[in-house]
Amino acid sequence: MDYKLNNEDYEVILNPVRYSTSIVSLGDIRYRKKRFKEPDSPSRHDLPEDDLLMYDTKENGGKSITKFFTGISTSDVYNLLGLIVVSIIVRLYRLDHPNSVVFDEMHFETLALKYIRGNFFIDMHPPLAKLLIALPGYLSRYDGILDLENESEFFESKYPYVTMRLISGILGIFIIPFSYLTIKLSGFSTNAAFLVSALLIFENALVTQSRLILLDSPLMASTAFTMLIWVKFHNEKKRPFKTWWWIWLIMTGVGLGLTVSIKWVGFFTTIFIGLLTIKDLWDLLGDLHLPLIRWVNHFLARVLCLLVIPVILYMLVFAIHFSILENSGDDAISMSPEFRHTLNGHGMNDTPIDVGYGSTITLRHFNTRGGYLHSHNHHYPSGSKQQQVTLYPFKDENNLWIIQKETDPKIPFETINPSWIYHNTLIRLSHVLTEGWLHSHNIKPPVTNSDDQNEVSVYGSKDHSDTNDLWRVEIVDHEKSDSDSGRRLRAIHTKFRLFHINSGCYLYSHSNKLPEWGFKQQEVTCGKGATFINTIWYIETNSHPKLPSDTKMVNYKKLGFFEKFIELNQVMWTNFKSISLHPYLSHPSSWILLKRGIGFWAQEHYQIYLIGNPFIWWTSTLTVLIFVIEKLNTILKAKRGYIDRFSVKGEHVKLWSNVFLMGWCLHYLPFYLMSKELFLQYYFPSLYFAILLIGIGFDLITERFNSRNRTIIVTIFLIASIYIFILFSPLTYGNTWEKSSCDNSKWLSSWDYDCDLYVGSHLTRNTNTTGIEITNQEFSDIRAFDKRAAETEDEQDEQM
Amino acid sequence: MTDHKVRQRHGIQVMEPPDSVQNAPILDEKKTIGHTKKYTKKRIVSNSALAILTLLSFITRFWKIDYPHQVVFDEVHFGKFASYYLKRTYYFDVHPPLAKLMLAGIGWFLGYDGHFEFDNIGDDYITNGVPYIGLRSLPAALGALLVPLTYMIMIESGYPVITAILAAGLVLFDNALICQTRLILLDSMLVFFMLCTFYCYIRFYKYRLREFSNEWWFWMIASGVTLGLTLSVKLVGLFTVLTIGIAVIVDLWNLLDIKRGLTMDHFKKHFYARAIGLIIVPIFVYLFWFYLHFAILNTSGPGDSFMSPAFQETLQGNVMSLESLEIRFNDTITLKHKSTSVFLHSHPQRYPLRYNDGRISSQGQQVTGYKFEDANNYWLIKPAKIFMDPSRPEDDFVKHGDYILLEHINTETHLLTHDVASPLMPTNQEFTTMPKDDDSRYNETVFQVLIDDGDSDTKWKTKSSYIRLIHFDTKVALWTHDKLLPEWAFKQQEINGNKNNVEKSNIWIADQIVGKNVTKPLTPEPPKRHLPFFAKFFELQRLMLSHNSGLTKPHPYSSTPVNWPFLVRGISFWTNNNDREQIYLLGNPFTWWISVGAMAVLVGVLLADLISRRRAIHPISEPVRNRLLNSGLFFFMAWFIHYAPFYLMGRSLFLHHYLPALICSYMVAAVVFNFMFVDSVNYPISVTGPRKAPRIVAKAVVKDITVITCTILLAISACVFYYFSPLTYGTPGIEPEGIRSRMWLDSWDLHFQPKRHDA
Repeated sequence: MDYKLNNEDYEVILNPVRYSTSIVSLGDIRYRKKRFKEPDSPSRHDLPEDDLLMYDTKENGGKSITKFFTGISTSDVYNLLGLIVVSIIVRLYRLDHPNSVVFDEMHFETLALKYIRGNFFIDMHPPLAKLLIALPGYLSRYDGILDLENESEFFESKYPYVTMRLISGILGIFIIPFSYLTIKLSGFSTNAAFLVSALLIFENALVTQSRLILLDSPLMASTAFTMLIWVKFHNEKKRPFKTWWWIWLIMTGVGLGLTVSIKWVGFFTTIFIGLLTIKDLWDLLGDLHLPLIRWVNHFLARVLCLLVIPVILYMLVFAIHFSILENSGDDAISMSPEFRHTLNGHGMNDTPIDVGYGSTITLRHFNTRGGYLHSHNHHYPSGSKQQQVTLYPFKDENNLWIIQKETDPKIPFETINPSWIYHNTLIRLSHVLTEGWLHSHNIKPPVTNSDDQNEVSVYGSKDHSDTNDLWRVEIVDHEKSDSDSGRRLRAIHTKFRLFHINSGCYLYSHSNKLPEWGFKQQEVTCGKGATFINTIWYIETNSHPKLPSDTKMVNYKKLGFFEKFIELNQVMWTNFKSISLHPYLSHPSSWILLKRGIGFWAQEHYQIYLIGNPFIWWTSTLTVLIFVIEKLNTILKAKRGYIDRFSVKGEHVKLWSNVFLMGWCLHYLPFYLMSKELFLQYYFPSLYFAILLIGIGFDLITERFNSRNRTIIVTIFLIASIYIFILFSPLTYGNTWEKSSCDNSKWLSSWDYDCDLYVGSHLTRNTNTTGIEITNQEFSDIRAFDKRAAETEDEQDEQM
Repeated sequence: MTDHKVRQRHGIQVMEPPDSVQNAPILDEKKTIGHTKKYTKKRIVSNSALAILTLLSFITRFWKIDYPHQVVFDEVHFGKFASYYLKRTYYFDVHPPLAKLMLAGIGWFLGYDGHFEFDNIGDDYITNGVPYIGLRSLPAALGALLVPLTYMIMIESGYPVITAILAAGLVLFDNALICQTRLILLDSMLVFFMLCTFYCYIRFYKYRLREFSNEWWFWMIASGVTLGLTLSVKLVGLFTVLTIGIAVIVDLWNLLDIKRGLTMDHFKKHFYARAIGLIIVPIFVYLFWFYLHFAILNTSGPGDSFMSPAFQETLQGNVMSLESLEIRFNDTITLKHKSTSVFLHSHPQRYPLRYNDGRISSQGQQVTGYKFEDANNYWLIKPAKIFMDPSRPEDDFVKHGDYILLEHINTETHLLTHDVASPLMPTNQEFTTMPKDDDSRYNETVFQVLIDDGDSDTKWKTKSSYIRLIHFDTKVALWTHDKLLPEWAFKQQEINGNKNNVEKSNIWIADQIVGKNVTKPLTPEPPKRHLPFFAKFFELQRLMLSHNSGLTKPHPYSSTPVNWPFLVRGISFWTNNNDREQIYLLGNPFTWWISVGAMAVLVGVLLADLISRRRAIHPISEPVRNRLLNSGLFFFMAWFIHYAPFYLMGRSLFLHHYLPALICSYMVAAVVFNFMFVDSVNYPISVTGPRKAPRIVAKAVVKDITVITCTILLAISACVFYYFSPLTYGTPGIEPEGIRSRMWLDSWDLHFQPKRHDA
């Protein structure tokens, strides 16, 4: 073994001292190997990748294409193949069972269906994983009617749900080779790598999750991918700006982009890699031999690859998303009118721009997306008991109002040419269908109980109107390209407020909904101290009998991709923050101890319950704890002057344990700050890092053992894990189980899966409690009844 | 605050100060005659500056303090609370009591009896006979003292007089501080105690070379006491605790360093001393005010309903003890769920066989939660005889731990729950009823009554006992939640069995015993119960925290923290339409904006220094850098800690929450000014230790340009202050044109602004 280090490209090798703190110093390893010929000399493949490069450099002149695979030997390839085969068996076993919707699958199934049909929707997660899941359906051109109203609905036989689960399952399998390579390439032993990936195979929760159509296994796959590639990049550290350095750096950026495009919590991975990069740059900055200009290059390369590439990728995913979803859908209602205008089926015809007295208009509320100023022939149950005024999101005859003059409400505008409405003029608004007037008075609104708000109603008749019907137009904003719209009312371009002169308040609406009697429509009031933005209105459609036929028309601006992208992300963010209650919510502090799982699905004598392999789970938590204590101890001891004599190996362990520990922290701790609903699945990326730490811990403990003993330890550890995996596997796969073994498996009383549904229980649940057999006829009767009930509800909704 | 590094260098390494800096190695500065004169002269300058600033400060704060003689903004709350103390009626507020006790104390001195309710903004003080000038003068005086305190903090931190004048001047001319502190509000106390804490801590830190001396102890205990006072005004005082806490941790971390040469025992002594002075002492101060709070408020009042029944019974004349009745077996009662206020209800209708999601029910009689009084809410309490001591009489009182059956009077059935999933939540158990003569499932109809904080002698009382009903057979608790059942149950609330039987929302209250009424005594009775102080204290703390985070109701003038440093929007406190007068909480835009700029400069300078040192370039001389790092960074950290946590708060926030951070930002501004315009720094500033080694003494050099810049800055501040002062004092009224010219930002939504397009 000749280690002559005279290749000038490897500047680090010329200055080993400078680098010795942050990376494995090559020189030292050489010395160590020379001095202590350990009886159990690790294979050359147990060395950090860079030592191998030295071999390759010598053998292939440093230009070997096998560089891509450096760090793994043939035996590693066999190991990997074996592990993958086992994981395929473990994870894809009985993938078609159950043949009904499990947990959130319903949600993603529906979304996949919307992709297939091109119907616009809003979800709180970015679209990449959903696009992947929808792919099989898209390819099979499935467009049947799938009524996924609830979990017990059976899949129609044609629906490619197994293929969809397969995608999720395969992505779940990816983490096995990724973890093996991560451990291996960061310079730990084959045994450790094998142990880590085998543990990941037999982790019940990960298996459960990856078998179903859910977003977590794509997320974990991309997180693991990013980590692996970053390790590769780190190993290229000494050859900056060379081809492979660039390739790995770019791939890291791609990994980040993918992670974030799957779920927003993937942003934690970005922070993680970002901090590692900052640390790297900081180390480089301290290297006085490195010219500043070269440091700037380093900096720019990282900005380009780790910032620009992910952003582009993220936007690209959205571009695909938009190009598929070109039709309108149920969720379009939460988007701005401009956005909806870009969707098929939501286009609005051009409308005359000029608004004058006698124009029939629809008024839209600017800030909330509640819709049009609306009134209908129903009355307030309290207060003045006059006719209701609300915001209604859909187009409707009842949204039409006619602008009338302050002086005489009876002028027949049909015969007179329109005259314009300028800033600060008084108007009356007449409701077309009920012929009353938009009215307000000193009466508290029915729902909002606030001193500075008054009720708004429709009151009076065609010939009868009082001064409480007078509203002053105050223009607050207008389209800059259309200066006329700043002086007088024009459709769409003019944003204005309506001031009720008698009580000194502005026509106002906010996101509060009226109760049943108001059909859950949005409340409209007149507010004195109301927030400015919620008092702004504009005219969406407009018509006047006497306008010349060649009058100028207007419509919403066409939104470009960026505007759509930003708007959709904003709406997603609002959805993301909203909180709903769920029986299986949990607090981050309960995750590390696996206090409680999640009931995914239960039917007859089967159930799927998300719960980890307690043995692996608790070992991983313990490992994290031990590493944290060890780090604190080191810091404190250093402060008190105890010098830790780190061996080279110790330095190496320190680096990678820091990295993985940081990964664990950054994927876990931020959840404490989130006021969102949280589930056990959110811990999975952290669990991945914790299990990687087990690998390091294993190497650390067994440092002095010979290879046979090491293999024995790994084997014992794995047998224990597999035993426990099998113990809990009925919950993972939804298989049958004995009630007694189910009861015995409840190691913690807080694991609330239901043992009574298994055979052997004194109480066979659901079917026997009433002793009534349901015939098919009865069943369909019940269904029909339910349907009728639903229809009546719909009808009520439509009665405006 | 200075850094230990300076001390380490004594005698070891002599720094090469710039030529312009006077320096002389001397033994003790006071003994050197040549310096004494200068020293006293300096002292005179310094003290007279202090006196002038204080005078100006009192003038600006007390100017027209009698105007307006109406209730302004949050005086509605805090004035009211002071009145409650004087009437000794119990009230509930999210803030700790100290500031309100101080206001009440002033009121008491002035002979005010607390009769005025402070109901609405704009209510007149004079016609209602409220000594409001006296009440306002307390916050105003403390607010005025902020200026000299700022000055002294800067002087103690080792800055020259001119820098201290600048810092104090910025505080002096700040409209927002003036506006907020001359009204009956809590912020002036808060900021005052916060600055006191900083002052004491800096004094303490300067005695670090004379560790464990009397002065050292005195200033440390003083910081602890002021820290406790800050916390007792508002819970945001926790940010001050955090600031001091971080400073202490950094200090201790440096002491722990092996290079300091402290033995572990010596270090422990330091540690325990600080634990006593800065943790134990503040806790006692905090507890003391609550003790006083409970001692004063002994009568039932508007805060009763927030508290637990046990608490309410400690108050004189409260409804709880007046209207509660002890329940006996075979009484008919109604049961009300505490958090959703529905009655336990049942009716002959049955659960549908199969729900929409395909699950099957028991088809038993429905048990629901119903909001209104109804005969179907009546339940008869029967003893579960098997579990009963047979010697107990038939109509014995129901006690904690008793097993009972509940009979629904109208349908003659027993309440039952069993292992069948409830209609809406598959995880919870269904509740239904069984005919009362059917004993086949007796065990499933037995429930245990558990009274909160009860023991076996506690009797179950209406209104005042919080109980849980735990099912004997399956240990689930009777529970309900906001979700409504579908039409088949008339959209009533779902009742189900909660497996988590210790949850707070399991609590029910017996509302009344049917057919029994309370005979009310007319004279208020003495409290029926006595609770230990700590029980009361912790209950109140929990409520304060939960209500504080529950203050999410949007307010027209609430704002988000990101707007504060840039003064994007103010708060309208009070308006008078007749004379176009208004009080609008708005900072002095000039001083706010330069302080934000200064902080950006500080961060920029420190980052640039950090990076250039990484490249082995040392652009800033060591003493200057140390001062910047220690004192500059301390003020910056104080600003950050008093500001950043608001981003994490869910409650509605207002501009005045920024005021504590604002004062810190003014001190940062002065530090940056010092860095830019004054050469070198005064050092050392710590009090000499017992070991009198020769010390290098350096003085800062104040050049003409420094004085001129400072004067210009303060002059502009004063002008801007004067320009905006009508909005601060609420008088005189401003014409619409004046308003328009004062609207430097469109987002300042002043009243009486001219309507746009008027012309």
